[in-house]
Amino acid sequence: MNVSASLGTLAVALGFASSAVGVITLAMGLRTRQARMLKAGRAYAGMALAAAFLAFVVMERALLAHDFSLRYVANNGSRATPTIYTFASLWGALEGSIILWSLVLTIYTVAVCVRFRERVTDPLVAWATLTMLGVSTFFFALMLGPANPFRVISGLVPADGNGPNPLLQDHPLMAIHPPFLYLGYVGFTVPFAFCVAALVTGRVGEGWLAITRRWTLLAWGFLTVGIVLGAWWSYEVLGWGGFWAWDPVENASFLPWLTGTAYIHSVMVQERRGMLRVWNLSLLLATFSLTILGTFLTRSGVLDSVHSFTQSSIGVWLLSFFGLVVAVSLGLIAWRGDRLRAPGRIDSPLSREGAFLANNVLFAGFAFVVLLGTVFPLVYEALKGDQITVGRPYFDRMTLPIAIALLFIMAVAPVLPWRKASAELLRHRLLWPAWAGAAAIVLAVLAGARGLAPLLAFGLAGFAAGSACRQLVLAARAARRNGASIFGALVGRANGGMVVHLGVIVIAVAFTAATSFSHSNEFRLTEGQTAHIGGHSITYLDTVTKKTARETKITARVKVDGGQVFGPALNQFPNATQTIGTPSVDVGLRRDVYLTFVEAPKTPHGSALIGVVVEPLVSWLWAGGLLMAIGTLLALVPGRRRIPTAPVSEQPVPDRTLTPA
Amino acid sequence: MKRPAVWVTAGIAVVIALLVVVLATRKPATDRLVKSPLVGKDAPAISTTTIDGSSRYALADQQGKWVLVNFFATWCVPCQREHSELVQFANAHAATNDAAVVSVVFSDEVSNVVSYFKQRGGGWPVVRDDNGAIATAWGVARVPESYLVAPNGLVVIKITGGVTDDFLEQQIARLESAK
Amino acid sequence: MTRRLAWLALGLVVIGALVYGVTDRSTATAHERAQKLGQTIMCPACSGESVADSQAPVAVFIRHQIADMVAKGESDEQIRDSLTAAYGDRIILNPPKSGVAGLVWVLPVAVLVAALAGLVVVFRRWRTPLDAHVTPDDVDAVERARRAEGS
Repeated sequence: MNVSASLGTLAVALGFASSAVGVITLAMGLRTRQARMLKAGRAYAGMALAAAFLAFVVMERALLAHDFSLRYVANNGSRATPTIYTFASLWGALEGSIILWSLVLTIYTVAVCVRFRERVTDPLVAWATLTMLGVSTFFFALMLGPANPFRVISGLVPADGNGPNPLLQDHPLMAIHPPFLYLGYVGFTVPFAFCVAALVTGRVGEGWLAITRRWTLLAWGFLTVGIVLGAWWSYEVLGWGGFWAWDPVENASFLPWLTGTAYIHSVMVQERRGMLRVWNLSLLLATFSLTILGTFLTRSGVLDSVHSFTQSSIGVWLLSFFGLVVAVSLGLIAWRGDRLRAPGRIDSPLSREGAFLANNVLFAGFAFVVLLGTVFPLVYEALKGDQITVGRPYFDRMTLPIAIALLFIMAVAPVLPWRKASAELLRHRLLWPAWAGAAAIVLAVLAGARGLAPLLAFGLAGFAAGSACRQLVLAARAARRNGASIFGALVGRANGGMVVHLGVIVIAVAFTAATSFSHSNEFRLTEGQTAHIGGHSITYLDTVTKKTARETKITARVKVDGGQVFGPALNQFPNATQTIGTPSVDVGLRRDVYLTFVEAPKTPHGSALIGVVVEPLVSWLWAGGLLMAIGTLLALVPGRRRIPTAPVSEQPVPDRTLTPA
Repeated sequence: MKRPAVWVTAGIAVVIALLVVVLATRKPATDRLVKSPLVGKDAPAISTTTIDGSSRYALADQQGKWVLVNFFATWCVPCQREHSELVQFANAHAATNDAAVVSVVFSDEVSNVVSYFKQRGGGWPVVRDDNGAIATAWGVARVPESYLVAPNGLVVIKITGGVTDDFLEQQIARLESAK
Repeated sequence: MTRRLAWLALGLVVIGALVYGVTDRSTATAHERAQKLGQTIMCPACSGESVADSQAPVAVFIRHQIADMVAKGESDEQIRDSLTAAYGDRIILNPPKSGVAGLVWVLPVAVLVAALAGLVVVFRRWRTPLDAHVTPDDVDAVERARRAEGS
């Protein structure tokens, strides 16, 4: 009897059982209005967490101890792999990644139970916990069914495993990109659960969404970091010099981010004016549905991607779950939707409400374009039998106008007051930001940038940055007037939001510069020969070959600008059909010099084909991502307390805890 | 419009249901045969020298027999596996001379290919394709890929991932009887 | 007045910079043309990468072919046609603009137009009709109140 397999399977079964029983208990407790049963839900959530943690520990131990009697370890681990990648190989393939998902989900469930423990007998909290346990049941069921990580090897136990996919062993970013992504994806289960709860109980107008707003922001923050890390990994590992290819899996992670961002803005309209309740609920339901759809697209093999896991019947399960989630969401909205319509109105399009409305239309449109482009080849092939491709040029062209419009709104919206603004007011408030935008265009032209779209983007970025800085300066002055520290000017939702905007602007500038003004070429160089590109020189020195048990690595040594030597390489793994290239990057503040080894010399000391891309401002992308993360953290800190007499339509949450029967 | 929420959600439900149906009925990427637009058309010309530089090979000269055009590389593991099948196939038709094989080198070095054939046998013509002109003309994406060309010069099948002798014989028999 | 001047000056600076920045256009070299074409051709052995970006052997081959055809003077259309003859329509990264596939270009624009139209309709419905009329009595009442306050 295989101890690891038995223990692991036991853990998964325990997780499944406690989630399922938890769902049933809470359902019965809600039906019979028994407080005791509702309180028991917390215990079941805790058991599910313990089970998931046990499964995680068992698998990690098996991986680190190279226990090849487990099929998952034999397929994804090997003795030659460094420890950090062995640890990370837990989430490197399908079955193990479900362990991670279950662990994160049960952690969130327990966190919700703890946070709302005062109101544990409130039906709304009970419904939310029930929903989360229901999702948990599904993921544990996946591990009992098609994605069983603890399957045992039949026959002889191999002496060594296959090791992770070579692309997953190249870079330490592989170790942190999936966990952040999962913390984001799974985090959206919390607002989804509360939406379902609010709709089922009919209690939508009580500000419950405002309470879960922080959870949504946290999940959104994690997802943002996960996506940026993914782009960074793609840049450092995949060898094409780019970081965003509109690959189906990238799109799958981007879609919930888009709807989540729309929600973060439109929920403020709900708080202030009580409007857009149905729309906000729909956004949150859509965000969660998109995470499930994204998981399906990534793992089912229906789309070709560098992320494609091997085919298994998990596709059917995930697609069915997606269908269930969508059916439940749509059903609830159809049932309760008309009851939720608020009588408010937006007085003028030229107001902050109007700007948020425009923001939402643009983000929804953005999501529509990305979704359409991603699934269109599938639909087309199903209808006509022919294959077409919707690739990067389509997405670039379609999303560019939306991005430009969003930059413009990002510039104007922060200075807009609620309810109504006059052109006079705008002229007064936007003057300095507009000069910042003009300065940005002039600077760009002086730096050599050409072309309408990039210059427009730079100008609007400067405009938006000026606007965000203006808000921060005003907040700093207000903080000083009220006797608070300058730090007080940075925390809180509005100010943290401005910092996030600055992060987005930095990313927009970097994206524009890197995609519009890069120089690339391939040079066939003999040893000692130098080539020039984009104001830099590269000198090919020689080629070094190193053979290990794991791989054969051929490295070209290339000197950049007569200084440091870099080593783009070609790796040959015994089980792969193609050699895999490893790029080498000279990272700089103003530009990256990206080197790839295209063709090795055919004769000893022969000529080699070296690819070079000089890309401006790429490191600003990662800096912008960091800024966004910092801004999110600042926004999560409670800011200045709202003045009690300020008009809001958020009513205090009534205490509906059950009185004992 | 009474109860617009119901209508809107019903509309969205229909669209998503259609999407789910499309996704559910799609075969996974690994199973799908890539359709070649060359099937049913005249085979693109191959007219070049063999790797030992000695003779000239032209596909057009092979009209009248079945030709298996095989793209391969020595570093490609499935190619190594299919090589013995090709040897079997070539030997079976050597006497009757009604079918032949020609191999095209894909992104590999001549010295590797020469020793590869010396090790594993196989006496059919091998041509080089240094700049990939032949591979791109035949729509080759990766190796191994093979095309079966009928005696009348039309491309009839594209096979990816490695051929087997049985499969080839089956297909030839099927197409001969269909004539 | 000074603010208006400031905005006017701003407008001039921006337009001047944009005009300068946009009209500086050099003609594309053969290499750049081949590069641009390569970015619209998919590498058939990769997952959505263009041949310009991918280092796969087939991508290198196709890049050579494109460079050769550009050097021979063939047009973009001819180059695309010869590649689709061998690899099929899926090798072009942009979906075709006509036929059913053209929907993928048309739908986003249609949805955007519909969304904007929807917004216009909704805003019109929200605008409260002005049913208050100012009468001479109202004017007198306001005058009296102001005088009372002033004294």
